[in-house]
Amino acid sequence: MSAAPTPLAPRPDALTRPFWEACRHGRLEASSCADCGHLFLPPGPCCPRCWSPRLTVRALSGNGRVWSFVIYRRTYHPAIPAPYVVALVELDEGPRLISNVVGCAPEEVAIDMPVRVRFEEALGITLPRFEPLGGGGRP
Amino acid sequence: MSRRAVIAGVGHTAFGKFPDRTAWDLEAAAAAAAVADAGLRPADVDGLLTDPGAVQGVLDGITPHFLRLGSQLGLDPTYTGSEILGGAGSVAIVERAALAVEAGLCEACLCVYGDRALSGAGAYGYGRGDEAAFGFFGAAGLHALAARRHMHRYGTRPEHLGEVAIAARAYAARVPHAQKRSVLDMDEYLASDPIVEPLRRLDCCLVSDGAAAVLVTTAERAADAPRPAIPILGHAQAHSLSTYASPDHFDALPAGRCGPAALGRAGLTPADVDVALLYDCFTIVVLLQLEAYGFCKKGESGPFVEGGRIGPGGSLPVNTSGGLLAEGYGGGMLHVIEAVRQLRGDAGDRQVADAEVALVSGHGLGMNTHATLVLGS
Ligand SMILES: [Zn+2]
Repeated sequence: MSAAPTPLAPRPDALTRPFWEACRHGRLEASSCADCGHLFLPPGPCCPRCWSPRLTVRALSGNGRVWSFVIYRRTYHPAIPAPYVVALVELDEGPRLISNVVGCAPEEVAIDMPVRVRFEEALGITLPRFEPLGGGGRP
Repeated sequence: MSRRAVIAGVGHTAFGKFPDRTAWDLEAAAAAAAVADAGLRPADVDGLLTDPGAVQGVLDGITPHFLRLGSQLGLDPTYTGSEILGGAGSVAIVERAALAVEAGLCEACLCVYGDRALSGAGAYGYGRGDEAAFGFFGAAGLHALAARRHMHRYGTRPEHLGEVAIAARAYAARVPHAQKRSVLDMDEYLASDPIVEPLRRLDCCLVSDGAAAVLVTTAERAADAPRPAIPILGHAQAHSLSTYASPDHFDALPAGRCGPAALGRAGLTPADVDVALLYDCFTIVVLLQLEAYGFCKKGESGPFVEGGRIGPGGSLPVNTSGGLLAEGYGGGMLHVIEAVRQLRGDAGDRQVADAEVALVSGHGLGMNTHATLVLGS
């Protein structure tokens, strides 16, 4: 591909900076609606359920399960060589986010597998990745 | 009597790799062909709607595509605009054209898709905002998440995805302008390189340079057209913009709401559809749509496509020109054009006998957008 590589690092803005700052301090946080209690990710300007702008943040357990996952066999960007797993993780508290499952072979990942957050430094930022909860092929 | 929208003309360029051509001259050629097919002159065109495709549209920013093309075609229309709905854009602009001509906002609305996705570098491997940091690149990753879910929940097998790819290539072998005209067998499909598991290379659509256009006008205006005008019987859009926050975002396409709305407006049911032109950026999307549109039950699309059921001679002909998987990436406009050809009886040795009702779909972005047309002869 002759195009310039896609910029990879997240570019926090006023809405998402608190999420990434919390990651830097080893905490996974979701936005919480002060009016209806809805808990959601990614952060936004208002509650996507009731449109209230009165938002706070709530710390999450960091535990969840793999809702679906894929294994990249082709390298799209030289900074992220294949193979690797991208998963949609459903956190125990409800919100879902795209992340990686690390700490086991890609072939060991399964839908509904319990995972927990593991913060890793990459691309100059702290990324919330996930690893199998309760063992499962740690390298 | 109320004004009834029809597709009176269709036209397209070849699809493939044309590094020496611009998207603009491809679009101008497709536009001229569609207007001529409708028996009209350029001066008759008073509406222009465009779908600029991924490279021109989503990735190059929102340069007003309609303005650039309208300027090059010398048009001063009474109705114009561009849609940025990803793969639903082409079907959506035909729908908008139908609404516009039925409302009397214009008489002859030209709908143009064009892009230079193959020669324009890096078209589809883009990262998605903050998710690029996790290596979540390209449309393949999103659709692989959906494929994995379907396999997990319903036991869908790679061979079921393979049936979709094989059917597309079997049809395209009968299409003179198709980008990929060689037939495919299951062994070759299964040996195809994994890209983003569970999707293989042959689950992914082609990338193409090319343009396609249709001319929408009223039945009255098209009464003397040289070729049969095809009525737009029904249309609808439905979208899932909440994306991952929606618990069934990857399990249920918005097509499940769009299909009944479009067929209902036409007074028809899935059983009335003679040929289905389903947006096929990835094989899994065809399976998901067969369920969403009610051609089979939820979870049963895998067994449904077994034995060549959607291929040539099958009971439900799907993507009879090979679609995005084999004819070429036409943004969905080639699907509209194939529907017109089938209903005109112009489809040569891929003609579906007695085709009277065609359903056309568009599906786009992060599985967010959907649009449906129901066309009748
Ligand atoms: Zn709320």
